Amino acid sequence: MIEPEEGVPTILNLSEISEREREEEEKVVDIVREFGAENLIYCMQCGSCAAVCPLARVGFEWYNKKLIKALLLGLKEELLDDPTPWACVACNRCTEVCPRRVSPFEVMFAVRRMMVEEFAIPTLAIEGLRALYEYGHAVYMTGREARKKVGLPEKPPSTDSDEKALKDLKTILRNTKLAELGLIPMND
Amino acid sequence: MIADVVKNESKNEGKLKYGLFLGCNIPFNRPDVEQAMRKIFPALGVEIDDLMGQSCCPTWGTMPSIDIVAWCAVAARNLCLGEEKGIDLMTACNSCYGSLNEARHKMLTNPDILKSVNDILSKIGKKYEGRAKCRHVAWVLYKDVGLERIKESIKYTLDDITIAVQPGCHFLWPSEVYPDKEEDPFNPKVLRELCEVLGAEAPYYSKLVDCCGMGALRSTDPEKSFTLVKEKLECIKEELDADLIVTTCSSCLIQLDDAQERLRKSGKLNFSIPVLHYVQLLALCMGFDPEQVAGISVTPRDEIIDKIINKR
Ligand code: SF4
Ligand code: SF4
Repeated sequence: MIEPEEGVPTILNLSEISEREREEEEKVVDIVREFGAENLIYCMQCGSCAAVCPLARVGFEWYNKKLIKALLLGLKEELLDDPTPWACVACNRCTEVCPRRVSPFEVMFAVRRMMVEEFAIPTLAIEGLRALYEYGHAVYMTGREARKKVGLPEKPPSTDSDEKALKDLKTILRNTKLAELGLIPMND
Repeated sequence: MIADVVKNESKNEGKLKYGLFLGCNIPFNRPDVEQAMRKIFPALGVEIDDLMGQSCCPTWGTMPSIDIVAWCAVAARNLCLGEEKGIDLMTACNSCYGSLNEARHKMLTNPDILKSVNDILSKIGKKYEGRAKCRHVAWVLYKDVGLERIKESIKYTLDDITIAVQPGCHFLWPSEVYPDKEEDPFNPKVLRELCEVLGAEAPYYSKLVDCCGMGALRSTDPEKSFTLVKEKLECIKEELDADLIVTTCSSCLIQLDDAQERLRKSGKLNFSIPVLHYVQLLALCMGFDPEQVAGISVTPRDEIIDKIINKR
């Protein structure tokens, strides 16, 4: 291995870690491609996506370009504890500028989906899923007074006031991967 | 594929009618935005359908983070509510606009996804044909209603008011999935023109397309989120000295309004700029009751509303 020149700060040596993890049975690249990031192998590390990414701007560790490099090198364990994919605002600035049609946004979300399988999912996300299943809305139902104050009926014309629609939504959710994962109780 | 998409468009057959897609933030956190839409659209000749039974779009932290087919299935049930009535949806929330249109794009460009979705939907007796889409209220106002009609409909004009516009991410990118597109999504003009037609100045500023830091970023790391919004607000103050911030996104509205107050309270910001969603600004200019169409905010709005209505 080439020793870094004197004065160069020690950095995370991605290649070395990837060496270690190459043995893993299922390649992480294949997992994330399966989860929606099909085009990640076309990344040429140009950095356009990082230049426009708000996460890179405020100093998140595994912003789009760096995350893609890590995945291509086969890293997985190092990524599972990191919150960066869950901070992605899905703005798709990166998708817009990528010259290789990678859609780094899809990579971020594919990693989220991989993390979900390993139960590396933030509590807030679980709360959101639970609320979606229970009410059909991902926010807490706190706004009744505010609705009345501005002259609206207490309930919006949503699953909140339509039992049949809520039942339909639950049926849909029970027929998706959410049910297989068992992250939230999903009673009738 | 693109040809198929066009062929599949919903036909509104001359009359302007849309399903009002509310999402979660607007009906529960900012119902004054909902009320503003319920006032302005009928007055502008746009009929609204309630889309009874609609749900969360689904937003990014929920099904899109779990599985693509699951995401598309929830979106498709919402889209079906419009499709069954032969109308498109419209929303004032950029997250809904993004999630629904990205899901639709996936279903229209990947037959396997659409088939899996329709297998699931068949369990509730529904099928998504790919016709109904979700429009953004700003585009409906800009293209369908038109600037002329907006101009004719207003009672108060915004003379001597400088607006900093905040279109928000999912109004712009990825442009490929949206039914309406800015000529240059990194230099958007639509919201500026919509503000200018009310008589205001709405100049360019260097952080115009920057992220407000809301959503996943704020729930994951509030500190970093406030850094972004602070930079944006300071830029708006320094470059424009704006009287008002106007956005087309309910998340940006909440962030710019609420985080601003938090920054002030912690001594990190020493000025205050009121924030409105565009539909609220238009409702005020059309003369609707400020209590109903703009009554909920953290950063004070009274002064600017007074200035608009009473010309003080
Ligand atoms: S813009 Fe595309 S090609 Fe360039 S680094 Fe990002 S993902 Fe890779
Ligand atoms: S979608 Fe996510 S990764 Fe892409 S630019 Fe936005 S925050 Fe960054």
